[in-house]
Amino acid sequence: MSGRWSASGLARGAAVACLLTLSLSATPPGKAPKAKAVVGLTPDKALALGERMYREGILPSGEPMSSVVNGDVPVAGTAFTCVSCHVRSGVGTFEGGIVTLPTHGPKLAQTRYWKYPNLSPEERKDLRVQTPVARPPYTDQSLAHVLRTGIDPSGRELNPVMPRYDLKDQDMAILVHYLWSLSAKLSPGVDATSIRVATIVTDEVSTEDQQAMLVPMNNFVARHNAHASGFGTRMYMSIGGKEMQGAYRKLSLSVWRLKGASDTWAGQLKAYLAKEPVFALLGGISYGDWKPIHVFCESHQLPCLFPITDFPVISDTDWYTQYFSRGYYQEGQAAARYLRSLDDPAPTARVLQIIQDGAEGRDLSTGFRETWQELGQGAAKEIRLGKGETMSAASLRAIVQREKPTALLLWTGAEAFEALDGLADQADRPGLVFMSSRQLGAKLYALPEKARAFTWITYPYRDPKDEPAVSRYANSLLAGLPKHKPETRISTRAYAMLQLFQAGLVDMDRNLYRDNLLDRLGMQRDRILPDYLRLSFGPGQRYASKGCFIMQLGPGPVPQLIRKSDWVIH
Amino acid sequence: MIRRTWRIAGLVLGLLAVTPGGLLAQAPPPIKRTVERYTVPDVTLVNQDGAKVKLKALLESGEPVIVDFIFGTCTTICPVLSAGYANLQAKMPAGAAKIHLVSISIDPENDTPKVMRDYLKRYRAKPGWDFFTGRREDIDQAMRAFNAYIPNKMSHYPLTLIRDPKTGQWVRIFGLMSSSEFIAECRKVGIL
Repeated sequence: MSGRWSASGLARGAAVACLLTLSLSATPPGKAPKAKAVVGLTPDKALALGERMYREGILPSGEPMSSVVNGDVPVAGTAFTCVSCHVRSGVGTFEGGIVTLPTHGPKLAQTRYWKYPNLSPEERKDLRVQTPVARPPYTDQSLAHVLRTGIDPSGRELNPVMPRYDLKDQDMAILVHYLWSLSAKLSPGVDATSIRVATIVTDEVSTEDQQAMLVPMNNFVARHNAHASGFGTRMYMSIGGKEMQGAYRKLSLSVWRLKGASDTWAGQLKAYLAKEPVFALLGGISYGDWKPIHVFCESHQLPCLFPITDFPVISDTDWYTQYFSRGYYQEGQAAARYLRSLDDPAPTARVLQIIQDGAEGRDLSTGFRETWQELGQGAAKEIRLGKGETMSAASLRAIVQREKPTALLLWTGAEAFEALDGLADQADRPGLVFMSSRQLGAKLYALPEKARAFTWITYPYRDPKDEPAVSRYANSLLAGLPKHKPETRISTRAYAMLQLFQAGLVDMDRNLYRDNLLDRLGMQRDRILPDYLRLSFGPGQRYASKGCFIMQLGPGPVPQLIRKSDWVIH
Repeated sequence: MIRRTWRIAGLVLGLLAVTPGGLLAQAPPPIKRTVERYTVPDVTLVNQDGAKVKLKALLESGEPVIVDFIFGTCTTICPVLSAGYANLQAKMPAGAAKIHLVSISIDPENDTPKVMRDYLKRYRAKPGWDFFTGRREDIDQAMRAFNAYIPNKMSHYPLTLIRDPKTGQWVRIFGLMSSSEFIAECRKVGIL
C-alpha cells in the first residue's frame, strides 16, 4: 500500500528518505493478531496459497492475480505482485519517492498515527503523546476493502500505484489470512534486550585465519555493546528519545565450530541452533564448499551474511545466504564474458578448458561453461587432469597440436607454468590462455616471462593500484589487530561484512525479523569497501560483487598487474 | 554548541517528518511535463540478446521512440513504468507505426542480458521493447545526457522521455502516468 510525496530536491529527498525509513520501519510490532481460518482449508494450506499470491502473484487456481494500477493500467500478478514493493517481510520500503506502507500482521492490527508512528501504544500512553490517528486498525473486512478499492479504514485513498486487486471472496480470504500471519512475531534469537548471532568456523581453518575473522567481530560486538541504549536519541528530544531507544539491543556472538566430514555439519548445526537459537549467522569461514551450511540456512530460514568462502552455492532463487561474490565461479564467468565481447571473434572458434581436479577447477570451469552457453556459444571441449597430475611441456604441446584451440582456459595451479613456458615458441599455440589469479595465489607473479604476453589473468578484486586509497580506513581500524594479514583479505572482508550488518541492523530498527534483515540489505546503496570494486544490492540479489578484471602480468622479476579490461559484468 | 546543533537538526528533521506524512493523505502530485532538447551520447550499450547497440543511432533514427530508466530488481517505480510500457504495446492499434520502447538499466552490475530477458518475459513484452545495459561509465553518461543521473539507484525517480521525431525534441514526463495519460502524450507528439 503506497503513498507518494513530491521530492523537490535530492538532498532534501535523501534526508527525508532517511527519516522515513526510520519512521516507517521502526514502528514496534503490535500484538500479533490471530489469523482467522479460511473456510475449507487447513491453516497450513491457506498460508501456502497466500504466500504464493503474495510472492508470486499466482491465485490458488494457478492463474495470475489481476489488478489495476495508476487508474487504468492492468497488471498481471506474474509481472509484479505484493512482494515486489512490500518486500518479503512485509515491512515495506521507501524507494524513488514512493512510500510503501507495511503490510505485515502486527502493523495492520495497530492504529497508525501521523506523528511518531514508531512509538508503541504503551510508550504513547507513558509519554502522553496525543497525535492524530492516521488510520484505525485493519479488520478482515477493511483489508479486503483496501485491497479492492485502495480506500483504507480512515477513508483515505491510497496512491494509485498501489494495485487495486480483483479477487474473489475465497482468494481474498486467503490473502488476508496470509497478511495477518506475515512477520507475526519477532524472529528467534531476539528478546527485549539482546540479539543473539553466531559465526561458523570449520575445523580445517588455521588459527591465524580464524583470528583474522574473529578479532574484528569481537571488537565490533564489544564496541556495539558499549553504546548506551539511548544512542542517537538526541534526534528525538521532544519525546525523550523513546523512538530510537526501543530498537537498541545488545549483541551476543557465539562461535559454532564444525568438526569432521561436511556431511555431518547439518546435524551439528541443528544441535547448535536448538541449544541457542540465533537471529542470523554473521560471516563464517571454511576452506571447503559452503553448500552444507547454505542448505541448512535455507531449510531453517536462517540468514547468513557474507561468509568468507570461495565456494558459494550458485542460485538465482535461494534467499537466506548473502555472499560477497560467486567466488571461483565468477572468474570462469568473467573469462567467458570477456572472450565473447572481443571485437575479433577468431579466438572463440575452438575453446578448450583444461581442468585440474578439485573444487577450484570445478567452479572455474562450471562458471565458464554455463556462461558460455548462456551467451549462445557452442560447447567448449574439456580435458580433466587428475588430482596432483601435472602436464609436461610435451604433453601440453601434444594436446594443443591435437585440439588446435584458439583459446585455452587453463584452470590449474602454477604446476602448469613449465608447460605454459613451452607453448610460447609453438607456432600453432592458442592466441589467448586464461588462468585464475586466485587459483595461482602468490605464485601468479612467477608466471614465465615468455608466457605473459598471451596469458590473461582473471582477477576478481579491485585493481591493486587503487586498493590502498579505498582500504586505508579499514586498515587503520584493523592494523592494531595481532593477526591482521592483508594478503588473505579475511580481516578486510570481516570488516566489510560488519559494516553491512550494521547498516542492516540500523535499517531494521525494531522490526527484528530475519527476512527483514535481508530485505534491508537489499535496499542498500552501492558500497565501496575494501577488496571488491563495488558491492551492489537489490531485492533477491545474493552476490554483492558481480564483476571481475582481466589482467596481464608486466615484465621483470617483480611484475605489476596490468589491467586489460573494464570491470567485466556482461 | 554540539547540543545546540543536534537540537536544530532535530527540529529540521522533525519538520521534514511531518511533511511527507501530511502529503500521504493527498492525491499524488500532478505529472510534470516539459519539452527538452538533449544530446544523446555516442555510447554502446548491450541489449537483452547480448547485441551491442549504438545508443545515439538507435534513438535518433527518426523512428518514434520512448525511453525510461529502470532496473530489474526495482521495488516500486519500475514495475509501474514497465506495466505502462506493456499496456501501451497492448493498446497500439494494428497497422500503427511502431513505437520503439527503450528501457535503460541503472543497475548494470546486476542487469545482465539474461536478467533483462527474464524481466521482459515477465511483462510479456512484444518485439519493439528493448532493455539495455552496459558499462557503468556509459550508463552514467546516458543518465546525465537526459538529466536523469542518480548516484544511488534506490533514489531514482519516475521519468518517461518521448522523442518528437519531427523536431528531435524530447517530452520529459516526471511522474507515473495512467494508460490514458500515456496514450494522450504519445498522440500530442504525433507518434500514435
